[in-house]
Amino acid sequence: MILPQFEYKRARSVADAVALYKKEKGKALYLAGGTDLIPLVKLRLREPKAVIDLKGIEDLKIIATRGGSLSVGANATLFDLKKDPVIAAHFPALVESLDATACETLQMRGTLGGNILQGARCLEYNQSLEWRKARGFCFKMGGKECNVVKGAKVCFANYCSDNAPSLISLGAQVRLMGPGGERTVKLESLFTGDARAPFAMEGGEVLTHILVPLKKTKGAYEKLRVRESMDYPLVGAAVSVIDGKVRICVGGVGAAPRLYVLGDIRDAASVRDVAEKASADAKPVANATLSPAYRKKMVGTLIKRALKRALAEGKG
Amino acid sequence: MKTMKVSFNVNSEDVTLDVRPYETLLETLRERLFLTGAKEACGLGACGACTVIVNGIPLRSCLVLTPEVEGATIMTVEGLREDGNLHPLQETFMEKGAVQCGFCTSGMIMTAKALLDRNKRPTKKEIVTTISSNVCRCTGYKKIVEAVEEAAKRMA
Repeated sequence: MILPQFEYKRARSVADAVALYKKEKGKALYLAGGTDLIPLVKLRLREPKAVIDLKGIEDLKIIATRGGSLSVGANATLFDLKKDPVIAAHFPALVESLDATACETLQMRGTLGGNILQGARCLEYNQSLEWRKARGFCFKMGGKECNVVKGAKVCFANYCSDNAPSLISLGAQVRLMGPGGERTVKLESLFTGDARAPFAMEGGEVLTHILVPLKKTKGAYEKLRVRESMDYPLVGAAVSVIDGKVRICVGGVGAAPRLYVLGDIRDAASVRDVAEKASADAKPVANATLSPAYRKKMVGTLIKRALKRALAEGKG
Repeated sequence: MKTMKVSFNVNSEDVTLDVRPYETLLETLRERLFLTGAKEACGLGACGACTVIVNGIPLRSCLVLTPEVEGATIMTVEGLREDGNLHPLQETFMEKGAVQCGFCTSGMIMTAKALLDRNKRPTKKEIVTTISSNVCRCTGYKKIVEAVEEAAKRMA
């Protein structure tokens, strides 16, 4: 598949990247591992005038402990993070979601920042231009209505990061730097809830660091997939237990991960309630490779499974 | 659009080329350097048929822009042979019949090579995990896994 024409620029620092973005008048895209971006450009879903390569920025590769948090540079690869001793010792949910992401080869190229900022996916959207033209453009592509749910003026594409749910369960924050300066926000508030533009980010903002509170946690990540390798999550459920408090996050259904906080881990009824509530909240539609009814039911099932493993004796 | 000058080392040879900024490494290898061992199948990073080793890491070359590999050391399946002898992986793939149509084979071998380079004695489970990065649509993966196991033994 041939790429459309664009310029290639290399950024030496984040400030340099933002300056390049401004120079391209917003018609540029940031490139890290490219495992999400390049297919989108090949399919003509994104048509940049230029791509700005962030891989040369040293600061974005650093994994370090800073002020009670583990600070992970956005360009750290999923594979390196999976092998990181601090992450292995503190964040079991994250280790499992990193391991469940795509496949080994893609983990070696794909970055944590890129995994968080991947586009929302739909069987009607992630297709070639010819396919989409023949079908008629959907709501996400600027068409009048959704192609999956007839008449709907809403986009039902699924946000398919494996690692955002586990990071949210761990209470992670993200640091962004852009034309308007620097800011740090909770990861769960990075989402708009609109799958046409899933991220509440200004044009030109770079996700620079992911900050995870450095505490020993118990946790697990459960993923519904058809194959054991490469598949995006059809549902993903992350559970982390931090200081006796349980944080549950569901991904893979709809535009944003959903967070549930449980006070008391010993209360079996509240576990059942939260699993049922999460299942009721999930509104899957027929835009992925398994039926919506099955995916909806599996939301609760995966939460229970993940909780059971997270709380198992001798873990964490 | 203006071309870019890119230099890298491929199969122990330094090359400098003028490439399009939106050219993939796979296109450069196949169409400028005639290294046609890496194949284009899905073109979207899903299958692994275009895998080559860049700075010790297996990469899907259909997802990499050639300007990104400035200064890199690249190995393709053509570079595996040493002093006229095939690499143990190439031998065992033939002996075990781990090939049917052959389109996925170079990607499989390069993915396996990167594994054996970082892990001299992988377990069967580790081999299966690694090889699950690549798709074969003809046969099963049994013989491919056996070939990697056998090559690891010979290289030990």
